[in-house]
Amino acid sequence: MSPDQTNLLQGTLDMMILKALALSEMHGLGISRRIEQITQGTFQVKPGSLFPALHRMEEQGWLVSHWGESDNSRRAKYYKLTSAGRRQLEAETRRWGRIALAITRTLEAS
Amino acid sequence: MVLSRLTSLLRNLLDQQRQERELDREVRTYELLLADEKIRAGMSPCEAHRQARLELGGVEQVKEQVREMRAGHLLETLWQDLRFGLRMLRKNLAFTLLAVLALALGVGASSVMFSAVDSILLRPLPYRSADRLVVILNHGRGPIAPANYVDWKAQSKSFETMGAAEYWTPDLTGVDRPSRLWALRMTSDILPMLGVPAMLGRFFAKEEEQGGHEYEVVLSYGLWQRQFGGDPGVLGRQISLDGKSYAIVGVMPAGFKFAPFWATKAELWAPLALGPRATQRGGNSLRIFARLAPGVGLADARAELATTTARLEQQYPGTNRDAQVVPLKEKVVGRIRPALLTMQLAVAFVLLIACANVAHMLLARGAARAGEVAVRSALGAGRLRLLQQFLAESLILATAGGILGLLLAAGGIRALVVFGPADVPRVDNVSLDWRVTLFTLSVSTLTGVIFGLAPARRAARIDPAESLKEGGRSGDSTARHRTRSLLVVTEFALALMLLAGAGLMLRTLLALQAIDPGFDPHNVLTMVVSTSGSLVSAPGHSDGFYHEMLDQVRAVPSVVSAGLTNHVPLAGDIWGYPFWIEGQSIPAPGDEPDAAYRLVFPGYFKTMAMPILRGRPIEDSDTATAPHVVVINEYLARRYWPDQDPIGKRFTLDNPAKVAAKKLNWLTVVGVVKNVVRSDWTALPEEEIFLPYSQNAGVGPYMTLVARTSIDPSPSAEPIENAIWSVDRDVTISEVQTMSAVIARANSQARFDAVLLATFAAVALVMSAVGIYGVMTYAVARRRHEIGVRMALGASRANVLANILREGMALALAGSVSGILGGLILSRLMATLLYGVRPGDPLTFGGAAALLAIVALAACYVPARDATHVDPVVALRHE
Repeated sequence: MSPDQTNLLQGTLDMMILKALALSEMHGLGISRRIEQITQGTFQVKPGSLFPALHRMEEQGWLVSHWGESDNSRRAKYYKLTSAGRRQLEAETRRWGRIALAITRTLEAS
Repeated sequence: MVLSRLTSLLRNLLDQQRQERELDREVRTYELLLADEKIRAGMSPCEAHRQARLELGGVEQVKEQVREMRAGHLLETLWQDLRFGLRMLRKNLAFTLLAVLALALGVGASSVMFSAVDSILLRPLPYRSADRLVVILNHGRGPIAPANYVDWKAQSKSFETMGAAEYWTPDLTGVDRPSRLWALRMTSDILPMLGVPAMLGRFFAKEEEQGGHEYEVVLSYGLWQRQFGGDPGVLGRQISLDGKSYAIVGVMPAGFKFAPFWATKAELWAPLALGPRATQRGGNSLRIFARLAPGVGLADARAELATTTARLEQQYPGTNRDAQVVPLKEKVVGRIRPALLTMQLAVAFVLLIACANVAHMLLARGAARAGEVAVRSALGAGRLRLLQQFLAESLILATAGGILGLLLAAGGIRALVVFGPADVPRVDNVSLDWRVTLFTLSVSTLTGVIFGLAPARRAARIDPAESLKEGGRSGDSTARHRTRSLLVVTEFALALMLLAGAGLMLRTLLALQAIDPGFDPHNVLTMVVSTSGSLVSAPGHSDGFYHEMLDQVRAVPSVVSAGLTNHVPLAGDIWGYPFWIEGQSIPAPGDEPDAAYRLVFPGYFKTMAMPILRGRPIEDSDTATAPHVVVINEYLARRYWPDQDPIGKRFTLDNPAKVAAKKLNWLTVVGVVKNVVRSDWTALPEEEIFLPYSQNAGVGPYMTLVARTSIDPSPSAEPIENAIWSVDRDVTISEVQTMSAVIARANSQARFDAVLLATFAAVALVMSAVGIYGVMTYAVARRRHEIGVRMALGASRANVLANILREGMALALAGSVSGILGGLILSRLMATLLYGVRPGDPLTFGGAAALLAIVALAACYVPARDATHVDPVVALRHE
């Protein structure tokens, strides 16, 4: 896999996690389920990708985490967007819009 | 963002334990939440937890993936790997020490030898455009007659400049301790030609070559420091050399040496005034130095000189023969080149064997650790992580080996300078070359990396589950075994070549030691006594002085007998003289028989224990007024009077073509002595004559005293010197040495080569033994099951033993055969180093192969015996 592609996919995963967290804070499984739900099952995020991404984004200052209680009273780690994370989401959204537009144009061109 | 990365890095490094705990909890919670979900969907709790675990893909793997992404991960794991590597290496101390030692030996020995080759053979001589400098010598080694030099200088166009130099050993007197110096007299062209400017003052000028104006000297830095304390005002001062006053006009910089191949100890240079000698066509005494003219090649110069000398030979028959132009550097290092190249090849072999051995050990360990690798990858270690860990271990090994090797090399260079053979040119210039060191370090590191990574590379390919099930016997062990067998074969081939080389040198040494020098060197002390600075050197006085001196020396209690000669065998010059035998037709000029010429005092033959085969030695009765006599050597007697008694025959050293018949000085042969070695230990005997000094007084300014003592001769040196000085305080004494030391020096090159090659061969032998032992041990372990089956089916212990030994010996044999083939080719490089044995000597090669076979057999026996102890029941159950 070429680095560009990786970046694209990584960027996409980041964007989806940020989007999932845009409304409320969530724990890891919650984020997975939320992404599945938004994409109607198209994307299934495995823990092997999810956790490294969460920790990386936290190190980059886009997310903060704290330990909280889940619905069925288990202690879980909850993630929340920071203002930097919000800015990042906006930037990612704009970038994605540009790429999607460009791709659509390319495909529609005859 | 950079800031947040940085704080994360700090947190990761500082608060690692909490981090790890939280990570574990986070991932486990995920698994629990997943299971909760599935239970809610109606799954049984047990099945739900199993499914959740499967979906998660392993808690440890997920954690490791998170860790790999963290800031500072690389740093942290590298540190971990280094620590772990050190721990593993410490746990296998024997392995580690062997590997480090092998690498250190390989790196150290090759660094020393490659540095020596670079400093001695490759680097240019320390003169300006040194590659354009040549020497012109008789047969490429002997001196030239003055008139020839004058003619060539005038008639040749190939040379930009040409100059002549002559050996000179003046006595420095008028100082606290009179001493004999090594010096050169040379024409004014030479110093400017070398392009090294004087540190102080100037060189001598052309005018000083005129007779009567030659009393100027240029000092070496060393002499200036020693004799004048480095006084910058030394210019213009007068010093007394051979009783004459010389003005100091210049001082050369430190490190300047001339000439580089002969008279290397010269520390004083004075003008050469040929005077009337300029027309002499005999009395060869000059070494000619020249710089090739721009655009002129060596071949051109040689062709031109050949034409010139051929023309001159027409004009002056019997002269101008066989003069050869030799590049100066070739003259300096040509003699040592074969030895150095042989040694270089030998150390390269040692390095290769060392690398092969380290490769063995790493592969063997890799095999032993296949299980560990499987466990580690099952626990979530990624492929890169495994590679990194094995890399760390290999690097630790290579670094340790490299550092130890460098220490060895630094010591080895000093040892080479101190213990190296006598007269190695430029040996004091040898220093550790960083490029060489870098190269050898890279080779060893690369070996460590390539072979150290093998287990990790394999681990990346194999499925941990399979590997664990198989109990460590991974699928591609056959390929690895083949690699290791190949390594063993290579090691044996290299070891055989080294053994054969060492054997050839040892046989050379034995042959050299078996040479009969023609005299008994034990308990003989020699020293050069020079009268140049004393009044006794005046005509008519020296004979009396020497006789009185001998009496005093003989009175020293430990002295058994004493005598004098102009030059003892193996040390000093040889003076050759043509002679004419009475009653034989006068040969053409240049074709006269020629003999080495020695002046002796009575007592010389007895002191040296040279057997008189016929007639009598030189005796006290052979005084100046008695009939002139000569003692000849066996070779001369056999050659010119093959079937007759030479005693009573006469010959003359005067040229009958030039001297009137009545005035010829006829020498009567009174004795024949056994042949004695001359300047070269291995040279075949040639004609030699011994004349009484008393009948030829005044020929040389110095003589060599030989004294036989009843005990170890060295302590007698001081009483003997005092005895000499009791006769005259103004004579100088130099070159005090025992005859045994002179002989040891003559053979030091061969001895050094033999010792060095034998050491290398021994190292190679041990490493090959370790190598084959390792391979066979591994082979037995691998085939435990098969051996068990065989034994269960009725194979006897002897069968099993033979089987394993056969496998090992096949490897050894394959290696030996390749080694013999390689050795037969390579030993030709050594041809010039050998004496009394031919390069491809079958006995030596056979012996080397036999020795190697015995060692291989011994090394294979232990694992083979272990194989016979395999209990079929245990071996089969083990599977």
